[in-house]
Amino acid sequence: MKLAGYTLKLEKKASFSGLEAILISVVAIAFALFLVGFIFLQAGVNPAEGYKAIFTYAFANSFGVPLTINRAVFILLSSFAFIVPIRAGLWNIGMAGQLYFGALSAFGVAYALGARVSGAVLSPWVVIPLMIVGAIVGGGLIGAIPGVLKGRFNTNEIVVTMMLNFIGYWVVAHMIKEGGPFMGSGGEGEGYKLPASIQAPVVSGVSVLTLAIALILAVLLYVLFTRTRFGYQIRAFGHSPAASRYAGISPFKIAFLTFVIGGALAGLAGYHYFGTVPNLNQIPKNYGDFGDMAFYGIICGLISQGNPLAAIPLALLFGGLTSGGRYVQGKLHLSYGIDYALLGVLMIVLVAFQFFFRYRFVLKKES
Amino acid sequence: MTEIKQGDIVLQARGITKRYPGLVANDHIDFEIRAGEIHAILGENGAGKTTLMSILFGLTHPDEGEIYVFGKKVNFRSPLDAIDLGIGMVHQARKLISAHTVLENILLGHPHAGAILDMKKTAEEVKQLCDAYGYKIDLNAKVWHLSEGEKQMVEILKALYRGAKILIMDEPTSALAPPETEKLLETIQLMTKNELAIVPFITHKLPIVLSVSQRVTVLRRGKIVARLNTAEATEQSLAMEMIGREVLFNLKRPDVKIGKPILQVENISVHDDKDYWAARNISFEVREGEIFGIAGVSGNGQQPLAEALAGLRKASAGRVLFENKDITRLSSLERWKKGIGYIPSEQRAVGSIGDFSLVENLLMSYYYDDQFVKWGLIDAKKIRQLTQELIEEYNVATPNPDVKARNLSGGNLQKMILARVFSRKPRLIIANLPTQGLDVGAMEFVQNKLLEEKKAGAGILLISEDLDEIMALSDRIAPMYEGEFMDILPGGSAQRETVGALMAGHKQKAVQA
Repeated sequence: MKLAGYTLKLEKKASFSGLEAILISVVAIAFALFLVGFIFLQAGVNPAEGYKAIFTYAFANSFGVPLTINRAVFILLSSFAFIVPIRAGLWNIGMAGQLYFGALSAFGVAYALGARVSGAVLSPWVVIPLMIVGAIVGGGLIGAIPGVLKGRFNTNEIVVTMMLNFIGYWVVAHMIKEGGPFMGSGGEGEGYKLPASIQAPVVSGVSVLTLAIALILAVLLYVLFTRTRFGYQIRAFGHSPAASRYAGISPFKIAFLTFVIGGALAGLAGYHYFGTVPNLNQIPKNYGDFGDMAFYGIICGLISQGNPLAAIPLALLFGGLTSGGRYVQGKLHLSYGIDYALLGVLMIVLVAFQFFFRYRFVLKKES
Repeated sequence: MTEIKQGDIVLQARGITKRYPGLVANDHIDFEIRAGEIHAILGENGAGKTTLMSILFGLTHPDEGEIYVFGKKVNFRSPLDAIDLGIGMVHQARKLISAHTVLENILLGHPHAGAILDMKKTAEEVKQLCDAYGYKIDLNAKVWHLSEGEKQMVEILKALYRGAKILIMDEPTSALAPPETEKLLETIQLMTKNELAIVPFITHKLPIVLSVSQRVTVLRRGKIVARLNTAEATEQSLAMEMIGREVLFNLKRPDVKIGKPILQVENISVHDDKDYWAARNISFEVREGEIFGIAGVSGNGQQPLAEALAGLRKASAGRVLFENKDITRLSSLERWKKGIGYIPSEQRAVGSIGDFSLVENLLMSYYYDDQFVKWGLIDAKKIRQLTQELIEEYNVATPNPDVKARNLSGGNLQKMILARVFSRKPRLIIANLPTQGLDVGAMEFVQNKLLEEKKAGAGILLISEDLDEIMALSDRIAPMYEGEFMDILPGGSAQRETVGALMAGHKQKAVQA
């Protein structure tokens, strides 16, 4: 392209710095917000006011902030579930199914200990850790299915994890709907409610236990990938299965373990949202919406380039936009789905901007 | 277009310059090519041959300089522009669709291949071309049935049928058996009679350059360092121009005492990926301080055999003993730990991880070593230091050990792979095409390193297509053809012709010779 004596050229980049990556992401987010501004305009709302409402609710409101954080933790755990296999080059898009089974298994533990019937059961010091273990085991077992199939028979992991999402969805329906063993006392298609004695600790509406777990996991996963033998094996396999096989790394072990870990992390996300978020403490009627929300973990994982620490601010942003978006929809009388539109546009723009990780425009003077 | 006569300038490059970050790949390259000549472009890896070739074929845009084709200034936007002007290219890696027939491949991308294919007309025209150059090929054969030489023939036909007047060939002889090479040289000489200019780009195999070309242009570090009439050049002088110093073509084979057997292979058979027999009933042994050479053109079962010995492929039958212990069922990792080192033929796809730094690449052979990994945590400082030491010891040209492997040239990457494998002090080294694609300087380095390991008492299994290399290095030679050893000959006294004939499958002839 030629402009007044200058040529605009596209150049391939050899590498990019972390600072550049952050800059590109910030510009992308600004650009996405600019685009969604047209939706606000079309609905007769000043975009500046719309965004102000979203962000104040999401990040500076005593009702909004806890909601944002709880959702961010959920999205963060989902993105870890995606990140671990993707570093091995394997695609886990079954976070929804894995978190359903994780939640079912956590509620199953409580159920087995009598939480549904008697109300008062064992000490929370016993039940809560057992529920967490249950969520990890439940999610991990479901993760093991694509892991084994991939490792042994080289089955397409995307198809398997995707299909397990549907299975998970209907198993949950079977368990909590009318006549199901986990049916709530109201019988309105929700799961039973955890008795107050075994609800996880909550501070100002935020589930602090699972928040702490998620943040610790971020650091642990970061160390796993950068410092450890197992992390090295995962990354080597992700970059080149042929070369890592030559180096003696077992493809089965990598596929199996990354999917088990991924599934376990998604299972934790299930426990976190359904088991610990205040005023929920049950598998709700609209549990499918949370399965959908888990997909933001994929975007989060892709944009953070598989870096679990970089996923934290992204998860916070996504969490904030879902809570704030839903809020302004009601407050400003926008049409249904503005929050989904916002996240959708944001995702597409962020993915499109990945282009700038590889290329740059240069302006050259015509000689 | 005006009529072209023998000796007319058909392609001219003036001041071609291409810069990449930190490197000038082509520095003011000037040369011209005349109708009816074979004009060889010679240079080491990294001398800028590939860049120049891409520019002439429209794959890359030069930063500066002009190209004239048939006297007209051109500006290639893509290879299509170059093809339309009569420039054809025969790539080193074949660009054919193996499930399609020869004819379908030739027609692919041709302007005749519109919505309706006129196969009959095309077949007749291609046949005429074949007759003109004495090619015998079944146009309806599927490409995957063909030998490397035949595939190359298809690529040449494709370019000619598309109207090529200038044929660029990238390492044309690299995958061919000696008889196929001869056939190729014959035909390209025949083709130049019809005013066709042929421009082979060649790294090594200097004798070929000398035998067919009329003129040679030598590149070194992006610059033209010599323009010669081939008649005035010798193998020695060309090699010197290429690498800027004298090369000794005679390796000194050290006198090493051959010790007890390290590797014993008993009646081993291996299947390939398609589940066909790749190697059948092979038995041999490699002893301490011995280089056992397997000579053969690629695709005769050497690769599956090497993989089976390395534990990367299951042996269908037979036994493998390492230091008198049965290792047939051991995984590759267990074999590395026992002291087997494997240098794979695909250095980029298998031998290294392009997106990893050199330090991380070295870890490929150290991540399982408890001296470098404690409690699952990698000792980053230690492995980095070892990388630095090996970079120095092996003369790897790199600014620092954090460079990604993909940014190393072929020769430097191979040095790094050798450094990684040899630093584990293996008792047995399986070297699969260790000098393939390397320039003369790097090749000499690799061969000397193999000899050093031999001196240190390791047993070496050398698999090579290069007859000169096999003859120069091996203590014993097994020519391999269609999955079988044709014979096992003593290295010192074997005749070059005999080995060449055996690896081409001529058992009878060899016996008479």
